[in-house]
Amino acid sequence: MNVTLITTLWRQRFTSAVRMALMAMLCGFPVLALAFVPGAGLSLLGNAQGLMLTLGAGMIGQDVSSGVLQLLCARPVKRSDYVLSRWLGVALAGTAISLLQLAIGAALLTARGAAPSAQQIVLFGAGRLLECGGIAAVLALCSSLIGGFGDLALYLLASLGAGILQMAGQVKHWLWLDRFAAELLGSLTPGIDLQRLVAASPMPWFPIVSYASTVTLCLALAIVMVNRKELSYASG
Amino acid sequence: MTGIRVEGLSKTYRRGLAGERVRALVDVTLTIAPGEAFGIIGPNGAGKTTFLGCLLGFLRPDAGRITIDGRAPDDLAVRAATGYLPERLVLDRWMTGDEFLAYHHALARLPAASRRAEVEAALERVGLAGEAGGRAIRRYSRGMLQRLGLAQAMLGRPRYLFLDEPASGVDPAGVVLFRRLLSELAHRGVTVILNSHQLDQVERVCDRVAFVKAGRVEAIETVAAGAAHARVLRVRVVVGASLPVTYERLTALAGEAGAALLDLNGAEARFTVADDAGAARLLEALIRAGVPVAEATPEESRLERLFLDSSPAGSPTEPTPGTT
Repeated sequence: MNVTLITTLWRQRFTSAVRMALMAMLCGFPVLALAFVPGAGLSLLGNAQGLMLTLGAGMIGQDVSSGVLQLLCARPVKRSDYVLSRWLGVALAGTAISLLQLAIGAALLTARGAAPSAQQIVLFGAGRLLECGGIAAVLALCSSLIGGFGDLALYLLASLGAGILQMAGQVKHWLWLDRFAAELLGSLTPGIDLQRLVAASPMPWFPIVSYASTVTLCLALAIVMVNRKELSYASG
Repeated sequence: MTGIRVEGLSKTYRRGLAGERVRALVDVTLTIAPGEAFGIIGPNGAGKTTFLGCLLGFLRPDAGRITIDGRAPDDLAVRAATGYLPERLVLDRWMTGDEFLAYHHALARLPAASRRAEVEAALERVGLAGEAGGRAIRRYSRGMLQRLGLAQAMLGRPRYLFLDEPASGVDPAGVVLFRRLLSELAHRGVTVILNSHQLDQVERVCDRVAFVKAGRVEAIETVAAGAAHARVLRVRVVVGASLPVTYERLTALAGEAGAALLDLNGAEARFTVADDAGAARLLEALIRAGVPVAEATPEESRLERLFLDSSPAGSPTEPTPGTT
């Protein structure tokens, strides 16, 4: 991991007016809803997918297509460090925003006399941390495959494709297709349902292993892809 | 330090849907000594940028071996000792100039304690101190970007400096500044690898020059050896001088000095001379004979002559797609 790369990524992401406006909308509306919808709980905050797509789009591809990566790779920086720093930077930024959203949401609920329990807050926060890390890893892989903001298109296409397959599987009653599409969708938003995990006895290891392997595989493939890149315009 | 060793380097690209193979580099072998200023020249599409890309570890050769101080080009120790200015310079436009240099200072693993001072010194060196350094890079002109790029490449006193068309888009004052900086670096013992079409710049800075054409190193010349090549000397005589300067008289004088008159056009005559000494002999003969010489200039720089020698009939070779 390279602290300079992580902090520079944060500065780049948080000085983009368009990105900030999008993130404010994506995080602000659920909080507003929480303030006004009676009987709402933390679940109204939804998931971190939109936030992570806004924050992470182009995390590697943008540097590749602009040519900035060439100058960066002339420095004593391992490409694997670059990929991992990009992933960690996006994941931590997403988690920090999620925790801020959670804090505001919990404060609003408390003010309305429906304070969430400490366990709920901890599980929600930890769940978001895992979700942000997972989606950032998938985005890192997509971004290593395609330049510019193509990762966003790739991710959305994969999500749409998986959704269509799932629908087709359900309509045709093809369980295998339904299951395949569900796994694909799950892989695009890796996460662990911590409520269920904590409640279960004995603790099920499958979701943990599945999550860890998805994240590891995405990052490993992203590193391989970035390592294989020829960084000269002469290579076309 | 053992310098740069390149042995049997070949690189091929695949182009188009049919995967047509384009040979960008063919069996390139050369060595660059530590502290040497080494120029790479050649026509467009010759493979110069591909060669630089391989030296920097950005491109994977199909065959051959490159070592820099005995290590692979992508070794982190080599990278820590390397500065690079690309031809197509793309910088993080959202940063200011000084932020950009501080960022690269940190990436180069240079001590944080000296960062501010070294960034300011680097900006000063390329003429971007003061307001310009604090300006957003997106507001920089082409020349300013190039200056900032050079400042970035020189951060941390690199032992190896790779420069791809460094003075591209720079104003005349900038060109002079670049030339001075490069000469300083070369004198300081930095190994400079300079890829440039500005032959006068290469001539003034480099010790040796490689002529690359169609992916091959056609010749490696010490720049001083350029003097051994025949060249054209243009001599202008004082207009209205009392002594009649006739074609026959100049032909005879040139013959005595071992040169040959090419043509006489008004007050200007063109001679071929064998080398620098031949040019001196010719001028001496002309002046002794009372020819009122007002000016004598070589028609081409030494590298221009070498460049033209390496390209048949002085014509550029047909560019090969994707190889520059």
